[in-house]
Amino acid sequence: MNACQAPDTRVDLAGIPLRNPVLTASGTFGYGSEFAPFLDLRRIGGFVAKSLTLKPRFGNPPPRISEAASGMLNAISLENVGVDAFVDEKLPLIPEGVTVIASLFETEIAGYAAVAERLSETPRIAGLEVNASCPHVKSGGIEFGQNPVVLAELVRTVRRATKRPLLVKLSPNVTDIGEMARVCEAEGADGISLINAVQGLEVDPETRRPVLANVLGGLSGPAIRPIALRMVWQASRAVTLPICGIGGIATAADAIKFLLCGATAVQVGTANYLDPTASAAIVAGIEDYLTRHGVARVSDLVGALEIPPARRS
Amino acid sequence: MADPAPIRTDAAVVENRSEGGANRRLRLQVDGWPGFGPGQFVMLSPGTRTDVPRSDPLLPRPMAVYRAEPAGAGAVVEILYKVSGRGTGLLAEALPGQRVALVGPLGRSFDLPASGERAILVAGGTGIASVYELAARARVNAAVSVLLGARTRQDLMGVEDFDALAVGLRLATEDGSAGERGLVTALLEAALAEGGSARVYVCGPTPMMRRCAEISAAHGRPCVVSLENNMACGFGVCLGCASPLSAGGFALVCRDGPMFDAERVAWEGLP
Repeated sequence: MNACQAPDTRVDLAGIPLRNPVLTASGTFGYGSEFAPFLDLRRIGGFVAKSLTLKPRFGNPPPRISEAASGMLNAISLENVGVDAFVDEKLPLIPEGVTVIASLFETEIAGYAAVAERLSETPRIAGLEVNASCPHVKSGGIEFGQNPVVLAELVRTVRRATKRPLLVKLSPNVTDIGEMARVCEAEGADGISLINAVQGLEVDPETRRPVLANVLGGLSGPAIRPIALRMVWQASRAVTLPICGIGGIATAADAIKFLLCGATAVQVGTANYLDPTASAAIVAGIEDYLTRHGVARVSDLVGALEIPPARRS
Repeated sequence: MADPAPIRTDAAVVENRSEGGANRRLRLQVDGWPGFGPGQFVMLSPGTRTDVPRSDPLLPRPMAVYRAEPAGAGAVVEILYKVSGRGTGLLAEALPGQRVALVGPLGRSFDLPASGERAILVAGGTGIASVYELAARARVNAAVSVLLGARTRQDLMGVEDFDALAVGLRLATEDGSAGERGLVTALLEAALAEGGSARVYVCGPTPMMRRCAEISAAHGRPCVVSLENNMACGFGVCLGCASPLSAGGFALVCRDGPMFDAERVAWEGLP
């Protein structure tokens, strides 16, 4: 590589061209404009907006969040402005040239399709991400992404509802992530995002009560990073679909670990809360890494994990 | 006037000293500080900046901006805080010259009382830190009474600063070691019983704010409360600080507050 030439950070994620592989994760980046005081949204690869439902919804009562060792638990639930308000009021606030991926979820499969159709009407949205970690009412509250039959029906239905690049965000609360990844591939998804928050529980021994009003919450932050890396690596061996890696990414080094384990791009989540400029700093850190290591294209890192022969299983 | 746009920066510790008991005063050089309104807050990292971001404890802590004065390329921003856990414990160890990550100012500021209006500021515990700037700005054209309460004399923060403002200052401690023995709510009851119009501003523990809201309502006086809640970001995206409203639904303490008209608050639903 020519030492004077800047490394190529562009990637193609499931048919979505990105200027670099750093996205921000749904639910941690609002509707994008909240971050405008802190960073130029054009500096990052793009953002995944807060998950949308057909109608606006309120979330859970407080307490909704709690600190945990190297992480946090949250149970925000369904709170969002609804798909119409997002398209009509939030999206116009985003500058041209910023890649926007819309996340969607509902409690019934037909609802997902309706939201997907509405989102597909606007050219401003580069792709859709189906949040499969929502409880499915008809399955007694088990997450869509925990049952391969339900997940298959969900992906099939949304696939029919949109021609846009379609990512499916997988739940980590499963026995075999490879099986869920294969379901997405078979049903026509263009890519998968993983992992969503890991289900957890925190208790106050003094009051003998759960800390969160919802009892259970989702654990996010650096605490889940090794779990996420493991699952990205397993999924990358199960399917050829591009993978967007998520889970406790706070630094460029963290992001590169995910690329090495097979992710084409990454999403920064909880770190956005602590430092609203974290995603831009990660972009700069990846550029620095590529230069230091003489890597011409960031895509050269994808799946480049080197496992010494003696450790191969 | 609109509140200034927040910044994210690494602020340099100028001073970090004990104020007696568990209370401490932190003075930070914040370059590029855009100014702030009374009642606004900042998110401070739990301890000094490290090369690799600290992961445990993870979340920044919301802290009221006590006051600020122009200095260097920005301002020296003063924070009064109480060491109450691991995050504030690490913050207490920060030495002059070390850096702490800061995001702010955040939240909406208090609406100042109208010219000539009587303002009664009631604050308890660390809530005292949220009302100093309000007292300083309101006293310019309003009659300001400040009622401060804490468990003991040692727990009362900033009393000398309030004294220097030359506002009507009254104190209450639970053990009687400073001011009246008892709760600050009794001071509010007495102040409103004197009659006359007044606007009441409150910041402190939830039961104290709720009681102040009840007392104000009983006297037909408007009351503004500054709520507290768990929050991870401070600028409206984690949705952790949602607090229930009496009319239904939720408001975010960080974005829609922390100030709320007391009658909008669904007290029974607060954590």
